[in-house]
Amino acid sequence: MPSAITCEDALRRWRAGATPTLRTQTTPAAELLAACHPDHGPNARVPLAVGVNRGDACQPELAQQLQANALIDDVDIAGAQLVTTDVLVIGGGGAGCAAALTAAEHGAKVLLATKLRLGDSNTVMAEGGIQAAVGEDDSPQLHFEDTLRAGHFCAEPALVAQMVLDGPDVVRWLIRLGMAFDLEDGQPLGGKLLRKKPGGASAARILSYRDYTGLEMMRVLREAVELDARIDTWNRCPAVELLSDERGRCAGAVLYNLEWRCFVLVRACAVLLATGGAGRLHLNRFPTSNHYGATADGLVLAYRLGARLRELDSFQYHPTGIAYPPHLAGALVSEAARSAGARLINGEGQRFVDELAPRDVVAAAILRECAEGRGIEREGQLGVFLDTPTLALQHPGILEERLVTLRHLARKCGHDPAREPFLVYPTLHYQNGGVAIDRHGAASVPGLYCVGELSGGLHGRNRLMGNALLDILSMGRRAGASAAQSAGRFIAGRAGIGHVYAWQRELMLAGLPLQRKAPQLFPTYAHFDLRADVQLASKTAARCVGDPR
Amino acid sequence: MVCGVNQVLLRQEIRVGADLDAWLAHGGGDGLKQALAAPGQVIAVIEQADLRGMGGAGFATCRKWAPVAAATAADKWVICNGNEDEPGTFKDRFLLEHTPHQVIEGALIAAVATHANHVVLYVNPQQPAALAAVREALQQWRDHALVPQIEQHLDAALALAVVPSSGLYIGGEETAVIATVEGSFPFPRRKPPFPAQSGVHGAPTIVNNVETLAHVPGILRFGAAWYRGLGRNGAAGTKLYSLSGDVLRPGLYELPMGTPLHELVFEHGGGLLQGKPFKAVFTGGPSNTLLTRDDLDVALDFDAVRARGSRLGTGAMIVVGEGTGIVRKVAEYLNFFAQGSCGQCPPCKGGTFQLTRLLNRIDTGRGVRADLDAIENLCRLLPGSGRCGLIDGAVTVVQSSLRQFRDEYEALLMA
Repeated sequence: MPSAITCEDALRRWRAGATPTLRTQTTPAAELLAACHPDHGPNARVPLAVGVNRGDACQPELAQQLQANALIDDVDIAGAQLVTTDVLVIGGGGAGCAAALTAAEHGAKVLLATKLRLGDSNTVMAEGGIQAAVGEDDSPQLHFEDTLRAGHFCAEPALVAQMVLDGPDVVRWLIRLGMAFDLEDGQPLGGKLLRKKPGGASAARILSYRDYTGLEMMRVLREAVELDARIDTWNRCPAVELLSDERGRCAGAVLYNLEWRCFVLVRACAVLLATGGAGRLHLNRFPTSNHYGATADGLVLAYRLGARLRELDSFQYHPTGIAYPPHLAGALVSEAARSAGARLINGEGQRFVDELAPRDVVAAAILRECAEGRGIEREGQLGVFLDTPTLALQHPGILEERLVTLRHLARKCGHDPAREPFLVYPTLHYQNGGVAIDRHGAASVPGLYCVGELSGGLHGRNRLMGNALLDILSMGRRAGASAAQSAGRFIAGRAGIGHVYAWQRELMLAGLPLQRKAPQLFPTYAHFDLRADVQLASKTAARCVGDPR
Repeated sequence: MVCGVNQVLLRQEIRVGADLDAWLAHGGGDGLKQALAAPGQVIAVIEQADLRGMGGAGFATCRKWAPVAAATAADKWVICNGNEDEPGTFKDRFLLEHTPHQVIEGALIAAVATHANHVVLYVNPQQPAALAAVREALQQWRDHALVPQIEQHLDAALALAVVPSSGLYIGGEETAVIATVEGSFPFPRRKPPFPAQSGVHGAPTIVNNVETLAHVPGILRFGAAWYRGLGRNGAAGTKLYSLSGDVLRPGLYELPMGTPLHELVFEHGGGLLQGKPFKAVFTGGPSNTLLTRDDLDVALDFDAVRARGSRLGTGAMIVVGEGTGIVRKVAEYLNFFAQGSCGQCPPCKGGTFQLTRLLNRIDTGRGVRADLDAIENLCRLLPGSGRCGLIDGAVTVVQSSLRQFRDEYEALLMA
């Protein structure tokens, strides 16, 4: 660990209510990113050796997952129950729910399978809000430009254009479903939506509900899904493999029922993956703000089936994750705090970065402070201060009224945010890239749709705050509608795991090990072993005495 | 003894596609000239070479040709059967696409030997690349000087035609081929009469597989002794093996006829995926008895495989390793047969459907012992009940998998 200033010393240099001036920036943003952002280190990327993206750069730990063997073999699914549906949605977060609802609206029979429980997802952890260009001083054009610029112009312009244009309608849809938004002060019910300015944006465009916008959104989405008779919901059924037909079209998925401990084959006309990101792989050994299920399942499955991926070496590190206490490491302090005016202070009591700069710049700046000895150390945890007491002094009552989650989090950390600053450190937050999709959310494999954090191309190499919630709803609804069109049109003659054998062949010929299996389904510290858990398959698996697993 | 790969039909230098000049530059046309020089000798040479029907039957080719040559008729037909549609077989499409002239020259030699004035290339339109190559190649022959020489020998005009097949599995059966060439639906017919006696519009007809005819130019050019010398363990010539399934390097291999199974799987195919133990092989497409671990030493020629109670068939080898369930594979094949049944014989139409239903029940964990009993009863009732061999082939797979892997079926039963 680099040298650091102790928390006691730092607290002595810090004074509540003080507004230190911003240290003059010497390094331009691009240089700062190249020097300090985890995406840019010497070990930040390796070329993939197999699959559609052979030769493309990928984060090394993710590459291990992508180039792993399948969890199951053909015998494991012998005797497995077979269920058919029109659209199979895998993932019970915001994107999955929006897709399921829209597909059902379009007349498809929908099965929504989720690894944890419906709504147990990163969506509920989105605190800041959703971006939509609804203000008089704002326009989708500005939103488009902000998004592309923040993403270092690596995003797909057509996708971004479609998303920003969808913004206002998405918000209208949410309101119709019953979601509450913050309204402008003094307005009666039916007043104007309260808009806040997010980091990196040129207009006030964030619509929020207090600082648990995602939770409120998930509340209405979950209710809508549960009340919809056309949608079957299966909780605790992770997908362990996709099914393909003889032409390579995605024809369904193999689910593992964690309660019954058996595999189920679901044959579907279209499969919609909405499994979220990869934070729980703890890439580059960072803590993560992600929920328990974010283990890159969809990415691994889609890649094995032949879907093209993009920007696999680009991740977003949220600048303000909890650094102390250690058991909460990675938990998120919402950007709402910074957009309300909270400052970041280093161990020397200085402000060292514009807090509303794009997330990658702020995160890199914090990492630089820590690397150069100006970080703050408390019981082995390194970070910088997020100055909530000064915020509370400047805006009395803000902690009680608008930053409810923040106060709740401080209570869990064991301190009063109005008296003591948070110790924060960047936390692995978002997978910028993912499965390459078209405007309907379709991946390069026929019959396969990918939406939400799993997909790539909407955010380039860095995502703006509030664009994730917009992404999941805009693309989720479009993909759901498009997937519903294939209902009844593609009935696979054979659906199996033939692509897994082609994959194993590639791995063997590339000299890669076959022992590592993916998707991981749960974080490594969960001690989940699918093989040990499967009781049904054991009777057939016992036959495979020579199987080296 | 030569053990090389791809030394005759799949030689790299003759994979010239539909380019007649390139084919002739690599020794093409020599066989045809030999045949024209001594047309009466052709059948004898083919007989000495012990050329077999590579489409699955392994029937001596000369015995199909001789009656047609001996018949007196105004019209005689030579049909090159390229319908190839069985799962796991992918040899004919490769030949037609990459060396169409080799195949066409073989058919022309057959016409010379039997005085046939109609040559038809019957190609599956589901393989568009093969169909396009054959169309182009045949056009090149029509303009070539060798054709008038053949017509002079025949003393009649030679009609060369490409007929796209129906693309249905049943369209590969030889009487169904004839029905299609006549312009009707590919319903198989009862045999006898055999096509050699009464084929297209009642005329004597030869129906040969693509690979069979592809061998003919070489035999004529280099002689029967050369051809016999290519084989191993007493078998003659070379054979195209379509290797697929759980092997590391699946693909099309031309090997000496009589190459042992373990050599094909482990040396050429690179062994099994993940180093799993070998479990079984569906030979010749799915319609034969399975070969198991005990049969790894079998020489892959028609007679040796038959001695093990199975058949070489088209030379397709679908390898199954431990870790792959037999029941699902069999259910998939039966589904293929049920889809492929032409429906004119009720026992076949209903039988394949019912077997598929029962197998799917067991495969998806809903089967009971009564289902297994029903399958066994059907296997006793159905054989021989169709005009063609489709139902027999279907039953053979089920029966053999049940005999050899009964425990796998039993393990999946609910009660």
